[in-house]
Amino acid sequence: MDSEDDMHDANSVDDDYYSGDTAADYCSDDDCGDYEFMDHDFEDPHDIVAKHQQKNYVVLNEADICQRQEDDITTVSTVLSIPRVAASILLCHYHWSVSNVHEAWFADEDRIRKTVGLLERPVQFSIAKLLTCGICFESYPLDRISTAACGHPFCSTCWKSYMRTSIDGGPGCLMLRCPDPSCSAAVGQDMISRLASDDDKGKYARYLLRSYIEDNRKTKWCPAPGCEYAVEFVVGGGGYDVACSCSYGFCWNCTEEAHRPVDCSTVAKWIMKNSAESENMNWILANSKPCPKCKRPIEKNQGCMHMTCTPPCKFEFCWLCLGAWTDHGERTGGFYACNRYEAAKQEGAYDETERRREMAKNSLERYTHYYERWATNQSSRQKALADLHQMQNVHLCNSLSLSLSLSLSLSPQLEKLSDRQSQPESQLKFIIEAWLQIVECRRVLKWTYAYGYYLSEDEHAKRQFFEYLQGEAEAGLERLHQCAEKDLQNYLTAEPPPNDFNDFRTKLAGLTSVTRNYFENLVRALENGLSDVDTQGGCSKTAASSKGGAGGKGKSGRGKAASKTGGPNDDSQRQIANLFLFASPLGWLLLQKL
Amino acid sequence: MVFIVRYVVRLKPKPVGDFLLCVGTAPGISASPSEENMRYFNVMILGPSQSPYEGGVFKLELFLPEEYPMAAPKVRFLTKIYHPNIDKLGRICLDILKDKWSPALQIRTVLLSIQALLSAPNPDDPLSENVAKHWKTNEAEAVETAKEWTQLYASGT
Repeated sequence: MDSEDDMHDANSVDDDYYSGDTAADYCSDDDCGDYEFMDHDFEDPHDIVAKHQQKNYVVLNEADICQRQEDDITTVSTVLSIPRVAASILLCHYHWSVSNVHEAWFADEDRIRKTVGLLERPVQFSIAKLLTCGICFESYPLDRISTAACGHPFCSTCWKSYMRTSIDGGPGCLMLRCPDPSCSAAVGQDMISRLASDDDKGKYARYLLRSYIEDNRKTKWCPAPGCEYAVEFVVGGGGYDVACSCSYGFCWNCTEEAHRPVDCSTVAKWIMKNSAESENMNWILANSKPCPKCKRPIEKNQGCMHMTCTPPCKFEFCWLCLGAWTDHGERTGGFYACNRYEAAKQEGAYDETERRREMAKNSLERYTHYYERWATNQSSRQKALADLHQMQNVHLCNSLSLSLSLSLSLSPQLEKLSDRQSQPESQLKFIIEAWLQIVECRRVLKWTYAYGYYLSEDEHAKRQFFEYLQGEAEAGLERLHQCAEKDLQNYLTAEPPPNDFNDFRTKLAGLTSVTRNYFENLVRALENGLSDVDTQGGCSKTAASSKGGAGGKGKSGRGKAASKTGGPNDDSQRQIANLFLFASPLGWLLLQKL
Repeated sequence: MVFIVRYVVRLKPKPVGDFLLCVGTAPGISASPSEENMRYFNVMILGPSQSPYEGGVFKLELFLPEEYPMAAPKVRFLTKIYHPNIDKLGRICLDILKDKWSPALQIRTVLLSIQALLSAPNPDDPLSENVAKHWKTNEAEAVETAKEWTQLYASGT
């Protein structure tokens, strides 16, 4: 049964991906017509990166938040000529949208005053010497009695416990009203400050601040545990990925961890699936694996997939498939990659139960394949992030933007390197850049496995194209990771220090830039739903009508669009081959020369 | 007795005595604190005239929680009653006993509200699904049942 569900899953995703408006998923509001980089086919990749990194969000700390809140209150208070407390109550009701407050107020001031509980003229309360509290019915002198604008008298003790009850009840206290059951006069922060206990005043202020972030459509708290920053997001061009100052990257739309280029619904499905399958996965993916040769258990603690067992065994193997490293080549998707899942071919006649059992097993195996790669890249990324932080010493890390101003004070590691190789510190930036690239690529690669899981088995052309791009990207990344992790170690520890440091620089910087290109291609292809394949393979209707000619790379020249099927026939094979040329960095270079 | 109640209430400021006096003056309602627990009240409500509960004497219990008056008193019917907003355990669906509670309300106002609920059942906001359904599909028949139940369980003796 499992497998049938999976098939169904996969099919329904197809609809999402290939209906041609993936871009719309990314920016659901108004102006998503120009999904930037799809319009310009032959743009310099670096420009694209720069564009994509144009921040459409601002990270706010507590002081910023207070400042903004104060500013908004001031604006409303000035424009409507009302006290600041009243402005604050109004804003609270209108989810802190200054324009909505203005609009509503000028449309029908009386109605707004009524709903919010702002009385135009405060009621003068009696000048009697003693007043009876409406809650405890005791009589008190005037100095022990307080009233909201409505004039209903209550004693300080009752006010205090009334406020405590409301504040303990949660953020609803921000809409506090006069205790009189027939009265709706608002009780604002001024009265809280005057009458509540210090503890409650603090809690109230906290709720007010939180409300500014949580009730506002444009702001959200960073979801990282313990992080106190908030993020203001401007809906418009670019993706939803946001990098908080605490270094956590998350998706603004679904507040899951950043997952570009995979869309939110796929991520949600994948996460759901993982939690549902986790019991199975627990035993399938124990934390260690036995060495395929000597069977000693091995725990992976380094980033790349090329494993070497400890002496005397010294067997080199691939962590993912546990095959000998020497076997890694074209068959497994490239020398440094192992990304292909080849569904076992069913041959001969199976009876129904046998077949179903086989399918269930395949389905689990298929899922395991993708989950394992997803999870391994995740932990690999964590490791790389730790390495990066170690290199940087200071956590200025902004894991999404790669062109950061780099830390001035070098870590002990880089200092050592600087001494040993007599290199000025400024010349070591390329190492940090490489690590930033690794961290980002691990993240993208991880999510492409979730994407791959939901990509239909039937879409041969797309699958092939996807796996090709993923394979290229993964191979590039493994080379880069290995170089940054293992080769660098040489220059740090080997005696005497090797004297080919400049070659190392060239190699690492080169790998960084090549890998970046591979991943840009991958991201771009996934973000337009692999629609290049449509254009090439004949299903040109969708591609042609999709945003700004998403798949425009080859469309103009070779618009033969002959076969309707788009299946894996000779024609489409050749077209895919063309595509591969254009999708690879080499292709890019060729195109730019033209 | 009023003196004792005042004494109790001094501890948590709300002179129950004051409403006790008021309760006494409200027609068809009486409430007296239990001998063992001054926060527990025995309540009697007469079925309002021109309602299916007319002629019935309904017993209720009322308890003032620690947080009273910041939290609502807890009230429950002890006499069986056929009413869409009262379930078979005697629990009452009334906004002022829940989210609309205000510390400025009193025992007297609570009991008056319950009396009013007997006069005007609200089957659109039901607590007892079956009774409410009955009320909405065939009100005349439901009213008859309510009258029978009043006869059976609340005839006072």
